[in-house]
Amino acid sequence: MSGSSLGKRRKAIRYGLTYAGLAALLVIFLFPLLWIVGISLKTREEIFTNPPIFLWVPTFENYAQVLTQSDFLSSFSNSLIATTCSVLLSLIIGIPASYTFARFSFRGQGVTMILLLIMRMLPPVAILLPLFVLFKAVGLSNTRLSIIIAYTTFSLPLIVWVMKDYFANLPKELEEAAYIDGASRMLAFRKIVLPLARPGIVTAAILSLLLAWNDFIFAAILTNNSTRTSPVLLAAYAGGETGTNWGAITATGVLVVIPVIIFSMIVQKHLVQGLSSGTVK
Amino acid sequence: MVAHHMEPAGGFVAAVDDSNDVERRNAWIKFQDRIFVSLTIVPTMLASALVFGIPLVFSLLLSFQGWTIDSALFGGRFVGLSNYQDLFSDPLFRSSLMLTIAYTLATVTAELVLGLGVALLLNSRVPFVRVFRTALIIPMMITPIVAALTWKLLLDPSYGLVNALLGTKTVWLGDPDLALFAVGIVNVWQNTPFVAILLLAGLQSLPSEPVEAAAVDGANRWQTFRHVTLPLLMPYVVVAVLLRTIFEFRSFENIWVMTGGGPANSTKLLSVYTFEASFLSFDLTLAAAASWVMLLIVLIFCVLFILATKRKEIQ
Repeated sequence: MSGSSLGKRRKAIRYGLTYAGLAALLVIFLFPLLWIVGISLKTREEIFTNPPIFLWVPTFENYAQVLTQSDFLSSFSNSLIATTCSVLLSLIIGIPASYTFARFSFRGQGVTMILLLIMRMLPPVAILLPLFVLFKAVGLSNTRLSIIIAYTTFSLPLIVWVMKDYFANLPKELEEAAYIDGASRMLAFRKIVLPLARPGIVTAAILSLLLAWNDFIFAAILTNNSTRTSPVLLAAYAGGETGTNWGAITATGVLVVIPVIIFSMIVQKHLVQGLSSGTVK
Repeated sequence: MVAHHMEPAGGFVAAVDDSNDVERRNAWIKFQDRIFVSLTIVPTMLASALVFGIPLVFSLLLSFQGWTIDSALFGGRFVGLSNYQDLFSDPLFRSSLMLTIAYTLATVTAELVLGLGVALLLNSRVPFVRVFRTALIIPMMITPIVAALTWKLLLDPSYGLVNALLGTKTVWLGDPDLALFAVGIVNVWQNTPFVAILLLAGLQSLPSEPVEAAAVDGANRWQTFRHVTLPLLMPYVVVAVLLRTIFEFRSFENIWVMTGGGPANSTKLLSVYTFEASFLSFDLTLAAAASWVMLLIVLIFCVLFILATKRKEIQ
């Protein structure tokens, strides 16, 4: 009897310690963000109080200010346009390719997959200069199209690696049955494979969406004040004379991050697999 | 009679037709497959070659040339290795190379140690543990610029939360001895969850028999972890370390927003050095050489990564 109560106590202690650890994790990893959300809901006086205040009546004046600013609205819509276009383009280009990588074998297949992997690993800052010079030479500098092209291309390795694994795990029988009924490769791909692959496509789409939405460095170089995206605007805020307007900076940051959090939650199960380029199962 | 005579011949002809048909059909299918493969692959290859391949080759050429932004695109003249000589004789470049190595080593080590701890914690069988796992994904996914701004405000000397909690007046980002540590915090904070979730996936895929056998043999928790779990987890650790090395090596956003490479160049990593050479001082050939030094270092880690993931344990 005393043994089982000892066991229960041990279990209670173990649970207690584990939850204490988990709670500490939440504080470390989420509190910084909550604090920023908090700043965005403070007045200027409340922000610059020393020591900082932990309880206050939230105000939305920073959001009201940001949402009526043409700077914010134009950069946010630039981000939306660049992200939407590049996600659609990279899916249209990348998905058929990944299906072929999964189902057919052709000469140079292995090398191509490895080149795509390397393309994802190389640091963008080392490719930026020649890309900038070449875009300038073809008259694309300072356009939204230039970052759309860059995001589309740099999403391709992600899409190909994620979707190749997904297609490879789909059963072949349905396609084979369709071939016997006389369907062409293209028809079977469109009518049979694509509908089955929808969950994988959603994951690939969101990963490429995050790549484009979160990018700073390509947009910092390839766009100007009228075509810049939200991260570029945020970096300008931080460095410029508005650097002391914490309310506007944090409100903008929160607005930029909300879509990221929503989309990450949708694909949370597949995130790590996707981000480690489909090499860890 | 005639009909009877014709019959076998007719049958024979039909048979020949049949096998011709099959052959022709097979050839047709093969042809179709080929068209399909080309149609699906070519756009990806073309985009990669145009936006990735050509710029790479162009910057490789630049790195061996004397060239200015006003020259014709491929109008530079060959200068051999002199851009690379200039690069390595620049004390700022050498210091940025050393700083980058130190920074990458420190952040990856921190992410690995913390990530392993977090993974073990998340692997415990207590109710609602998945909620915590989901919450950890948030810092990992948020826009790097926002993460950098978050910590810039948290570390503000006068109104930042960190100094308020510590009761100090530390100028985190203005002190050459502290700045690199401070910008490193952002990346460790953002990427420890990635390492943790990767290692958690590893822990959950391990077979349970070896651990049970160790328990039967009377090993305590630490011994089991050290001699059974950790060796089995090693392939995942290797992948995590290589991936994080590749991605820490390119760290840019946190530094650009928080310190811009200062104070006194104490946070000027290779990425910042290359960026400044490219777009602030417009020393394009030097920048191309710096880019290629970065590319070659990352390529080495890519090869290691490919070798590591080819191993059976992970596939």
